[in-house]
Amino acid sequence: MNDRLSFYRNTNSQVHTLNPFTKLCITLTIIMLGIFGTWYWTASALVLLAVLPLILIARLLREYSIVAVKLILPTAGFMFVMQSIFLPGGTTEIFQFGPFSIELETVQRAFLIASRIFLMVSAFALLLLTTHPSELMTDLTRRGLPSQFSYVLISTLQIIPQMQSKAQTILSAQRSRGFDTESTFLKRAGSLLPLVGPLVFGSLVEVEERAIAIEARGFTSTHVKTSLHEIPDTNTDKIIRWVLVALVIITLALRIWLS
Amino acid sequence: MQTGFTSQDFRNFLIVMVVMGVIFGWAYMTKRIQKDFSTMAWVLIPVAIAINIVIGQVVIWLKLPVYLDSIGTVLVGVLCGPWAGALAGALSNTVAGIIFDPGWWPWIPVAAAIGLTAGLCANVGFFKTWWKVAVTGFLIALAATVVGSPIAVLLGGISASGSSLITAFLLQTGKGILESVLTTNFIVEPIDKISTSLLAFAIIDGLSARYLARFPHGENAQLEQTKRTSELVIALITVVILVIVTIVFVVPLVNQ
Repeated sequence: MNDRLSFYRNTNSQVHTLNPFTKLCITLTIIMLGIFGTWYWTASALVLLAVLPLILIARLLREYSIVAVKLILPTAGFMFVMQSIFLPGGTTEIFQFGPFSIELETVQRAFLIASRIFLMVSAFALLLLTTHPSELMTDLTRRGLPSQFSYVLISTLQIIPQMQSKAQTILSAQRSRGFDTESTFLKRAGSLLPLVGPLVFGSLVEVEERAIAIEARGFTSTHVKTSLHEIPDTNTDKIIRWVLVALVIITLALRIWLS
Repeated sequence: MQTGFTSQDFRNFLIVMVVMGVIFGWAYMTKRIQKDFSTMAWVLIPVAIAINIVIGQVVIWLKLPVYLDSIGTVLVGVLCGPWAGALAGALSNTVAGIIFDPGWWPWIPVAAAIGLTAGLCANVGFFKTWWKVAVTGFLIALAATVVGSPIAVLLGGISASGSSLITAFLLQTGKGILESVLTTNFIVEPIDKISTSLLAFAIIDGLSARYLARFPHGENAQLEQTKRTSELVIALITVVILVIVTIVFVVPLVNQ
């Protein structure tokens, strides 16, 4: 499998050896707490007190920083700036330039949203950095997820790199025969079909053969399938999951009770 | 100060979930879902997701002002039925979240709605001629807007995409968040989704009847033979009228 496509980095830390399902639960719990938490700083506090320590335990600080700087900060930062300037509904003005004025209330609201998004993406980055997609899918299949889902997700991750290189080849080939991909808008729009056509038809033709191939390997069989690769599920995992469930219930109860 | 969403939003969310659960249960009981998922459908879905993602990138290379990142989803919706289309859309955004950036995940319901609408339109025969496909594209844009706007509002109305500049402008002119987001989507979405549907139609047009017949809803793709140019004119006029009607009538309605 092509590892270039996933964020996964293996450092054999305690986080990596947790059951994939436990790691999924941790991520979802962090996000639920961040969204439903009643305290204004919940999301920011969770980034510092939950995501960062786990990243440190997993020894992935460098990889996480790269993801944070390249992906999360631009999105969250851009949203924070745009929303601070453009969202209506504030009264306390901080300062003004030209036609725009920035109010304290909008900045607070923009910060809340930006911190939630930062938390959400960070939590998923934690999951993706420490869990191999096919391992997660194998474990979920064992827990009752239909095997078709894991087939779709895992084979997609394999097909995309193939198709990307095919798209590159078609683009170069069309360019070499003088195809216009860089001038006016109409020419660029016109060059879409000759690029998309060969790519799509080529991939669709393979579908039929693949259907016959997996049919011959018992794809639609309903019997329980055995796996060569066993994924451990320890008592620690089970305890962690119950604690997480309790945390979510307490947060939801607080939310309903206080509002 | 508004913080995220209120208990009113939470109740609306619960109502939507219950309605969706009832529809899903009904479709499952009447075996409508099971009919969509043959082995051919399961194999087409990964390819369709790859088509979504790779064509999305090709469009970025060509610097075109559309996304076109749901052609594969529409293909699955038409060939395999609405439920397979919804699943293809949902998984497409899931995969994009895994390989690019988890910012795709909040938009999973929108992608599912696109596939579902494409499938429903194709089931009533609206994927057989150019102008019908354009109308389907418009309906898909409508569904995407209806599902996507609450999510956009929940995320604060302004995201990192280019069309947010329109939203930002509308907000600054004193309009509400929901109104601004809806207007932006009504300007951007129809163009994108109609070109998506027309491209998907061109692809289906190029596939052989023998190949198409192997899919659960292959009969949706049997095209009617008509004169192309007059069709195209009708399609364009229909779309322009629909867009104007929506912006003039539906957006003010929502505000009241």
